[in-house]
Amino acid sequence: MSQTVAHAPAVGYVQRLRGRLGNRWGKPRFLVLVTWGYIVWSIVPVLVAIQFSFNDSRSLSVWHGFTLKWYTSTDPSIDSVFHSADLHGALEQSLKLAGLDVLIATPIGVFLALGLARWRGRGSGASNFLMLFPLVTPEIVAGVSLLILFSRLLRFVPFGTVAQLLGHVTFSISYVVVIVRGRLFSIGPSYEEAAADLGAAPAAALYRVLLPLLLPAIVASAAIVFAISIDDFVISQWLSSGANSTTVPVAIYAATRATPEPSTDGIATVIMLITLLSVIAGVLVYRIFTRGESGRGSAVDDIAGLGI
Amino acid sequence: MYPRWLWPLSALPGVVWLLILFLLPLYAVLALAFGTVDPILLSGVPAWNPLDWNPGWMSHVLDLLVPGNILWDVFLRTCRYVVISLVGCILIGYPVAYYVARHASRTKSLLLILLVLPFWISYLMRMLAWINLLSPGGYGLRFLSDTGISSVLHHLGIISDPSNYLSGQSFTVILALIYGYIPFFILPLYASLDRIDQSHLEAARDLGASPFRAFLHVTLPLSKTGLLGGAVLITLPMFGDYYTPNIVSGAPSTTMIGNQIDLYFHGGPQPTIGAAITVLLAGFLMILMLYYMRTVHRASRELAA
Amino acid sequence: MHPKERRLATTRRDFLLRSGGAAVSLSSISGLLAACGSTTPADNGAGGGWPTGAGGIPLARPSHPVTLERWEAPIASGMKPETGGTFTIFNYPEYIDTAVLKAFGKKYGVTVKVTPFDDITTGVTKLASGTVSPDVTEMTPDLLPRVVAGKLVKPLNLDYIPNLKNVWSGFRSPYYDVGSRYGVPYTVYSTGIAYRTDRVKEDIPNLKPNPWDIFWHAQAYKGKTALLSEVRETIAMALLHRGIKDINTEDPKRVNQAVKDLQELYKVCSIKVGDLQYQTVPEDKAWLNQAWSGDMLAGYLYYLPNKETGKLLRFWNPGYGNGPIGSDLWSICSTTKKPVLAHLFLNYMLDNGVAYKNFVDFNGYQPPLDEIQPETLISKGVIPESLADSVLTERDFGGKALVEGPLTTAGQSLWQDGYATFQSGA
Repeated sequence: MSQTVAHAPAVGYVQRLRGRLGNRWGKPRFLVLVTWGYIVWSIVPVLVAIQFSFNDSRSLSVWHGFTLKWYTSTDPSIDSVFHSADLHGALEQSLKLAGLDVLIATPIGVFLALGLARWRGRGSGASNFLMLFPLVTPEIVAGVSLLILFSRLLRFVPFGTVAQLLGHVTFSISYVVVIVRGRLFSIGPSYEEAAADLGAAPAAALYRVLLPLLLPAIVASAAIVFAISIDDFVISQWLSSGANSTTVPVAIYAATRATPEPSTDGIATVIMLITLLSVIAGVLVYRIFTRGESGRGSAVDDIAGLGI
Repeated sequence: MYPRWLWPLSALPGVVWLLILFLLPLYAVLALAFGTVDPILLSGVPAWNPLDWNPGWMSHVLDLLVPGNILWDVFLRTCRYVVISLVGCILIGYPVAYYVARHASRTKSLLLILLVLPFWISYLMRMLAWINLLSPGGYGLRFLSDTGISSVLHHLGIISDPSNYLSGQSFTVILALIYGYIPFFILPLYASLDRIDQSHLEAARDLGASPFRAFLHVTLPLSKTGLLGGAVLITLPMFGDYYTPNIVSGAPSTTMIGNQIDLYFHGGPQPTIGAAITVLLAGFLMILMLYYMRTVHRASRELAA
Repeated sequence: MHPKERRLATTRRDFLLRSGGAAVSLSSISGLLAACGSTTPADNGAGGGWPTGAGGIPLARPSHPVTLERWEAPIASGMKPETGGTFTIFNYPEYIDTAVLKAFGKKYGVTVKVTPFDDITTGVTKLASGTVSPDVTEMTPDLLPRVVAGKLVKPLNLDYIPNLKNVWSGFRSPYYDVGSRYGVPYTVYSTGIAYRTDRVKEDIPNLKPNPWDIFWHAQAYKGKTALLSEVRETIAMALLHRGIKDINTEDPKRVNQAVKDLQELYKVCSIKVGDLQYQTVPEDKAWLNQAWSGDMLAGYLYYLPNKETGKLLRFWNPGYGNGPIGSDLWSICSTTKKPVLAHLFLNYMLDNGVAYKNFVDFNGYQPPLDEIQPETLISKGVIPESLADSVLTERDFGGKALVEGPLTTAGQSLWQDGYATFQSGA
């Protein structure tokens, strides 16, 4: 008996090490290093930018101590995030555009997704193609085309908030469609068919069966549209009408080309926090609504799947 | 169960919106590229009727694109930046995607969140961060000179001025492009690698393949769609990028094609030239765009069937 | 042939003819413009006589003053100013004191905002395309006829602008706008070189063959040099460098040579373009800049990081007849919804107290007003001796002065195209 127990090899430290290094199919140390190295390289610069929004001097690169003045100061010689008319205005404009973008693009996108997924007739292929086009169009082509449209053809559309909003919505619709459609496919037609078998009219099946099932995707796409709109730069810049319609990214860009200050880092931090909060909220709502469901689709997979 | 007209009707608002505010503007660019210039204010006048199209501006731009002329140089420079950045993204991004997809069991969710995080941080903030790091006295600058990397780069001719990374340095622009676009490359690649069935690799292993050969003959081919998809996904916007060079370099010697379009439209010469360059750029990228859309289109059709 | 075929064949042949025949070069752009249905008569100076520019308006020069036609009747006199809402000023960034603007806003109950443009040519493009709709805009004499012909600015009713009498006599009815029908002066300036004595070793004012040459030998200042991001100023400087004093030339050979010279600067000193020298030079981010006379004063009066830097700033002024001198104007935009208030704004900016405050507290650019005596300011120490060259007098605007005047349409395109070539960094 003691023999059998003794047979179980007492694997010492050295042997385990040799096993690890020698096992060519084990975890590759090199990849771990590269991955975490990349993560650090990816995140640390942003952390530095956040840090310098609290810098007690005008410098963006040399630390002089901690202060909140770039956020809260009412001193007129300091352009603080919450009290400078320009920065404050940019925050408002960004949030306004993002909110309106969600309200307009989400319903249009949901209906378009439903239509494209289930339409079998002629034109559905072309419409699908049309929907995919904005996703691959380079932003500068988008900016140029809308600028020409609003200044030469549809002249009644004023530049500024209206034009910017129209531009944002145009390029948000496709994201909604892709996300909602993914959810539609994972739901499948079986629930509505069951409802029909139980005697529900088509309208009721849509409203009381399909829509609640789609809700998590609708919420997730709303969060994504919000984030995309806040981060949009090219369209907001090309369609702006000047001081009143500057958004946060445009303000950051203008500052970096002139003389950036810690308040530039500050406004970037604020908008980043707002974006992150909205995305987290969207993901949480999605999770709550899909709790207990088996099968495909975490929010991250949906987002990752946007690439393919 | 549903009436046949319901679905086209549902799609109608979106389709009409996209026709008017997406397709029509693209035609407007064409119309302006083949349009004329109002001699008083030197502003562009689009020619809406194709029969009125004036090819003069387009041929002027094509003339500028002849090798040796200014647009050709800018175009070459843009291609150089994009290709180098793409290679950089692949070299860094593929190992990361591979690790997260295939090896990170416990830390997978955490890593995914960290990979997705840059999506929600404004692109401009991420570029601004480099200004914080590379301005005189910044942490990045000090790191580069203290570790000697700066002098190595200077020696190799990659950097022309080791104390000034933020003005006219191609190196900084490429670094910023890689930094900015790599998250958009990693995620589709990750998704594609994630889908590869472990059993394929186990089979290869059972058949005696070394890990390297298994990678080469199993993983790599199966991740091809993800790789190409990610590459196309970042190449397209990179070709139209103008703000990245403006932020991290600001000098005319690092301008890309997007900068030229921006200049001609806003700086005043003839917007017809800006429109013509845009048309040519879109045409050039069309090949990539069409490939990408066909792939997605086919994939979504497969899912629908 | 079928009638329909015949029609199509003709248009196709037209198309082919036009594209095949377009052996294009920089100077053939004028040909393109002429062919493109321009309806303005005699737009290229052909047919003898004084050349005309946009809209058939003769090119204004100090020797050839021009009266601009009113394209609409000015507003009636005696009306009350509009209040409430936003009053938008279209201008260079940081070119007017915010305290001055706030006071105006408070006085008339409006919120004053500034929409900036990068340079005047970009600004005019934005006005022309309708992307901005400001109330008043800054303007320069060389582009004034263009915006008048394009109906982008309104004729003035001078009853609302009594302060015009404060202006130098020579500017009350300038050569580019006899009778001040469309604009009132804001500042006057000359174009020269701004530099720091602690960084630049050469004695710039006495440089041979001329001080402009420093840029072509600025290897030691690589990355710390810049030119103004202005179509006219950059090419004019290259012309002056070669000894060509006609800074309104439309000779393609001269302009192309100037552009080539400018392109050399990339190799020599990694030249940049921008209009921020009033900040970058005091902050040690730039050492040697083409600049306007107000820039170093603005740097001294407002942007100084510390007192010592003030002693290091210098401005070389080419002097009467040797370098460009200019003036900036205020004009009222056609898109304004507050025309009366816009007139009052122009009047407000010509008030001696307001102009002085704007000049000395922030701007550094001298207003051409009789009461503001630069000599007094120097003797009182408001302007340091080291920057005495940054101020101008009426004499500088005499008959031999070099001004950047309006160009014909072909000439304007030639210059803008040349600038774009320079800007492409190739």
